[in-house]
Amino acid sequence: MSNNTSDKMKRSDEPIWWGLFSAGGVCFAVFVPAAILFIALLIPAGIISTGAVSFERAQSMVFSLPGLIFIGVVICLPLFHAAHRIRHGLHDLKLGKERQNKIVTYGCAALISALALVGFVIGAL
Amino acid sequence: MTIKQISIQRYLPEQGSAPYWQEFDVPFDDSTSILDALNYVKEELDGSLSYRWSCRMAICGSCGVMVNNTPKLGCNSFLREYQGPVKIAPLAHFPVEKDLIIDMTLFLDHLAAVQPYLINDSGEGSDTFKQTPAQMEKYKQFSGCINCGLCYSACPQFGLNPEFLGPAALTLAHRYNLDSRDQGKKQRMPQMNREEGVWSCTFVGFCSEVCPKNVDPAAAVNQGKVESAKDMLIGIFKS
Repeated sequence: MSNNTSDKMKRSDEPIWWGLFSAGGVCFAVFVPAAILFIALLIPAGIISTGAVSFERAQSMVFSLPGLIFIGVVICLPLFHAAHRIRHGLHDLKLGKERQNKIVTYGCAALISALALVGFVIGAL
Repeated sequence: MTIKQISIQRYLPEQGSAPYWQEFDVPFDDSTSILDALNYVKEELDGSLSYRWSCRMAICGSCGVMVNNTPKLGCNSFLREYQGPVKIAPLAHFPVEKDLIIDMTLFLDHLAAVQPYLINDSGEGSDTFKQTPAQMEKYKQFSGCINCGLCYSACPQFGLNPEFLGPAALTLAHRYNLDSRDQGKKQRMPQMNREEGVWSCTFVGFCSEVCPKNVDPAAAVNQGKVESAKDMLIGIFKS
């Protein structure tokens, strides 16, 4: 029986990834469609005037605290959500090794998130 | 009575190493269950067929088989539900001992690992434990398990890794954790917190679809994930 041996009772680190996955899922469901609706549909369709996102206005919106939250909610958390799905998809298809898949998928999500953050810092300065 | 052809996967390890399919013509009407069909085959056509059964009313949980690749209890699925061919095989993801008889040892080990019984050393209620209807309502949904193993056959993650504690065991763990009379949550959490505990589940949800008692193990396992995540957070703040 697989009971009470210390190595087998090791706590999984999955709650961290699952937490990011859950948060990203909410963002994917709620905020990403809203962002797509405004930026990719309503503005090009002319329903909202293009003046609403003139370069100066967009720049001042993005490189502010709400802009930082927007980046986290629309880019970073959905990235971790997607990474989690890809990692478990790879596991289901018996591709790769669990540890390597984790490093590659979450690594990519972390890297792109870091790039977004660097972009934010450069733009905000 | 009309006749239906059913195929049964046979495996007789003393006669041959490979399983094979055998066809039987079974008379049936609206009341003929898969189990009735198996009984007919055994009594009238081929006495060498082996399978488990007992109560015939979805209580004992021993007649689980794959019917057209879906886990079913033989006693509460019926030939009338199948228009085309009917293929009956042993429950998936378990080692097969003979014909439709599977080895459930690992399943029973997983059940035992989560200590699925009341743990209470307080001495209170040594006579009888009292519980309000509201307290009972919290776990009642998850207490209907008959240990038939259909959810393990339905679970692709158990198929990939038999060390995964699996739907029924995790549901029972959650059921006792939710019970106001129980104090054993601390002892069960390390099992649930493992990679092979709640965290091997990817919420496919097929376990809940095949459960003959509508226990909804997928919900229990995912509520278990919340409990495990809380347990981790509390652990971080405590240390």
